Parts: sequence; structure tokens; C-alpha cells
Amino acid sequence: MTIAETMTSRERVLAALAGKPVDRTPVANPTNVATVDLMDMVSAPFPDACRDPVMNARLAETGHTELGFDVISPYFSIIQESSALGCDMQWEQKDNWPTVRMTNPIWKEPEDIHIPDDFLEHPDNQAIIGSIRILKEKWGDEVAIVGKTMGPWTLAYHLFGVEPFLLMTIDDPKKTMDVLHRLEEVSVLFGRAQIDAGADVLTFPDHATGDLVSGEYYHRFLQDIHTEMVEKLPVPIILHICGKTLDRMDYIAQTGMAAFHFDSMNDPAEAMEIVDGRISLVGNINNPVTLYSKGPEAVREEVYKALDAGVQLIAPECAIPLRTKLENLLEIPAAINDWTEAHA
Amino acid sequence: MNFVHDGLAAEFEYVTREGERQHIGELFDSGDALMQETAYNLITGNHNEVSRLVEQALAEGYTANDVLDDGLIAGMAIVGVKFRDNIIFVPEVLIAARAMKAGMVHIEPILSASGVEPAGTIIMGTVKGDLHDIGKNLCIMMLRGSGFVVHDLGVDTKPDEFVDAVMEHDAQIVGMSALLTTTMPNMGVTIEALEEAGLREEIKVMLGGAPVTASFAEDMGADGYGDNAIEAVDRAKEFVEADN
Repeated sequence: MTIAETMTSRERVLAALAGKPVDRTPVANPTNVATVDLMDMVSAPFPDACRDPVMNARLAETGHTELGFDVISPYFSIIQESSALGCDMQWEQKDNWPTVRMTNPIWKEPEDIHIPDDFLEHPDNQAIIGSIRILKEKWGDEVAIVGKTMGPWTLAYHLFGVEPFLLMTIDDPKKTMDVLHRLEEVSVLFGRAQIDAGADVLTFPDHATGDLVSGEYYHRFLQDIHTEMVEKLPVPIILHICGKTLDRMDYIAQTGMAAFHFDSMNDPAEAMEIVDGRISLVGNINNPVTLYSKGPEAVREEVYKALDAGVQLIAPECAIPLRTKLENLLEIPAAINDWTEAHA
Repeated sequence: MNFVHDGLAAEFEYVTREGERQHIGELFDSGDALMQETAYNLITGNHNEVSRLVEQALAEGYTANDVLDDGLIAGMAIVGVKFRDNIIFVPEVLIAARAMKAGMVHIEPILSASGVEPAGTIIMGTVKGDLHDIGKNLCIMMLRGSGFVVHDLGVDTKPDEFVDAVMEHDAQIVGMSALLTTTMPNMGVTIEALEEAGLREEIKVMLGGAPVTASFAEDMGADGYGDNAIEAVDRAKEFVEADN
């Protein structure tokens, strides 16, 4: 039996992000759910699907057409802007994520930062912007189109190298802030271009994770910048940070962002208690163990745990391993459906 | 323990587990002021001062092993505990590691020339598709400091590169790192490649990395898991001791 749905996917997602009532909890993919099976299904393999708007759109929409998710998210990776800025890239093959060679950073000082006038025209940025246009035209009223623009902290990892950047945060905090403010311009430029192309929502990954830096770091270096983003990017924003984040969720909840996409390392009930309704939560099905290695039963168990806690949008915790089984992804909306029926 | 440096004594208060207080406290039993000052400056990331103090100690006749054990490794032991207990995070560990490197610059040539038998041979690498190396590099630094010969395969290491390196260096241990949940499955793929090459029975495999857990390591068929660099050294020592 299927529950009677009274909202479109788009309405459902936007309502959940606004903290409003929904007919059922939406299933989202703020980062990505592309898999090798889906690439084969629509002849849109990596890395081409990351660089060509038509292929990109074809693969992105499978998240809705094949998996039944309520959003379409065309920016699969986290590297488009960094490629456009000149980073050394490793585009990989179908079954591996494209990535930035962060061991070969291109900048050392804030004054090295140069955003080309034609930054948005770079093919790797146009792949996303063009894809959003295609998807908006096809799915505009029905499904929420989720763009993505990288935050300055993540861009700094790519452009300055993780280790040099983290050392800079201790050696020269003022210089670190200069870097972040300059890179914030990249986040805003690319985010606004996606909004203009039709993005309903933006994911904002900025990996100040508890596996690397303290919650106090988040407060000191990023909270104000993230708060400014709410003004500068006028659509609902989903902040994404992997790893342990409970110690910074209170700060995140103060930014005014619509939602926080959180990792399975954080207990959903505890997370809900910390944010206390100030921000919606999106998550937090474990990728490497549950979605990749286990079966539908384990997926269902985690979906129920998140729903029982009151998480507003159910999603994998992050971009999923590319060999994830489709039956496990299909189990997410199925489990939501059953849980909703049982709680009607 | 016998603290003569107030700052170091205060740092030691972060070590709260009974067994660890005993074990790490013994590293400072000698009550040597120069070694304790070295350890303190390592913990607080003052690399220039660590370099100067190590040079001074060697000039005063301390052996390279004494400086390594009583100054640098003793300091890193407290750094490891603070990191594990979320008192400090990676930036603070990185400045301590930078300080350790500054000291090792003076010590390594002496140790290399001494011809001491290594504790074991380890192949380390970040798995295919993953370009993160901070955690791996910290582990390598601590393993080398503990007497292991470590061959670093770098990042984005293909399974057959691990296989080739094990054969080339006749290694006893393989250590793999991943920071991305999307690349973690490549740890299992690499273990399969070691099996297919007929090497699995001869070596021990340990896994680590921020999203990696003990249960994931077990699922992938590894022999051990380390939550941090100190634990990586513990696992490696356990493997070698069990082998002897």
C-alpha cells in the first residue's frame, strides 16, 4: 500500500526545509546519488557526466526517475570551481570520483588568489549551470533542483592544500580570514549563477569537520561567513559538513541556513535536540557500511532511526560510493513510505 | 613520573586514563630538564625551539635514541592522547608534527648510520581515488620514530602498487588510509588483491582514516584498526610481537 501524497516532490522538499508540515518526509540527496549502475542505465559515465551538461542532466535526473528521490542534484562532486580556478585535477574513470590533487596546491598567499573574469564561463562550471537549466525546464514544477556551491573552507583545501591551510590557521589566523573572505566570492558567484539558472536550493559543503578542526574553529572562522551566505544566496541553503559535528551544531543552527546535512557519526536524536527546531536536518544514512556493504534491512533500520528522531529530510550522509547497490538506495523511499503509513 | 617542567606537568594532566598515566608517566621518570623542555615545546608546536634543543642535547652528549624516546616520542605520546580525547585537533597535531620533524632532522642521520635492526617493515599508502595524506603522514612519522622502516606509497595508491611494494620490500605489515567514505571500499579491493597475489597469509593489514571504524576494518578483512597515529604504532608493535 502506498500513502496518498498531496504534495509534489518540490513542494515537499521546500516545505521541509522551511520547517513546515509535509505529507511525508522527503528523501533527498544534497550531495549526490550517482552510481555506476545509473551511469550505465543512461549512458552517462563519469567523468564525462561531470563535464557535459546534457549527460550531467541525464544522470542527475535518475535520482528522481529511478530511485524516487524528491530532489535532483546535478553537481555530483566537489571540484568544479577548483578546476575552473586552475587546480591540478584527476578526473578518474567511471568508478572513481574526480578529485583535486591537493598535494599540488596552486596558491600560497591571499594575494595569489585570482578569480578570472570568465570564471563562470569555464566549461566545468557551465556543465552544472547548463544542466540546471535543462533540469529546471523539464522538472521545474515537480522536483526540487538542488545546486551546489563550495564554501571557502573547502575551496581553501583544494587551492592551498589541506596541510598548508590548516597550518596557516594556527600560524596566521588573520591571513586565514583574508583567504576565506576572498574565496567566499567564488562561493557567491557560482551559487548565484545556479540560482539564476533555476536552482531551487543550494547545498553548501564547507568541510570544517570535527575530524579535522574543533567546534570553536567553526565559530571563529566560519560562522559569520555562513551567516552572510544566507543574505547573499537567496534560496534555502543546506550546509554540508562530513564527520563529527555535534560540537558545532549549535553554532550552525544560529547561521540562519535552512538546513544542515549531517553524517552518520552523529546520533540523529542528539542532533535534533541541539538544533532545537532552528534549522532542519538532512541525513544521515551511513554510506560505507550500511549503503555499500549491507542490505536493505540495515538501510531500513537507519531510515527508521532518523525518522523516529524527527529528521526532516532523509538522505545518505554524503556522496555515496559509486558501486552502491540500487536496491539499497531504493529502500530509502520505501522505508519512508512504510514508516509514514505506520504513523498515520 | 618526575616532572621538573611546570608546563609539561600541566600538559600531563590531560592524560587521565590510569594505564596511560602509568605508561606515559614512565617516559618522564628521568626528570631530565632538557628532555622535558623538548617534549613541552613539541607539544606546543614550537618547531624552532625543538630544533635548537635537540641540537643542544646532541652536542651535550645525549644519544640520538635518548632524545628520540625521552624528548620527541614522549611529547608525541601526550599529543596523541589530547588528539584522541578531542582536546586538540588536526591543526594542533600538525604543528606538533612539524616540531617533531624539526627535531628528527638532527636525529635521523645518526640513527641511519648506527645500523640498528628495524622493528619491522611497513608499506603505507592512501587508497586508490583518495588524495588525502595528513593522517597517513602522521602515522608514518610516528612509526619511523618507533623504529619501523616505512615505505610510503603516497596517495591514490592502486591495489597492485601495494602488492608490488610488499614483494619488493618483503614487508610484514600493510597500512592503508582513506578520508572519503566514497574511497573506503578500495581498502577491501586492495586486501582482495593481496589475497589474489598469495600474500595475505604472510602479512598483517591495518586500516585507518577519519571515517574508518573498527567494524568496517573487520568487514573488509583487515587484521587491525588504528583510531590515530599512536594506535597505528601500537597495532604495528602487536603484529611484530605476535610474529616473533
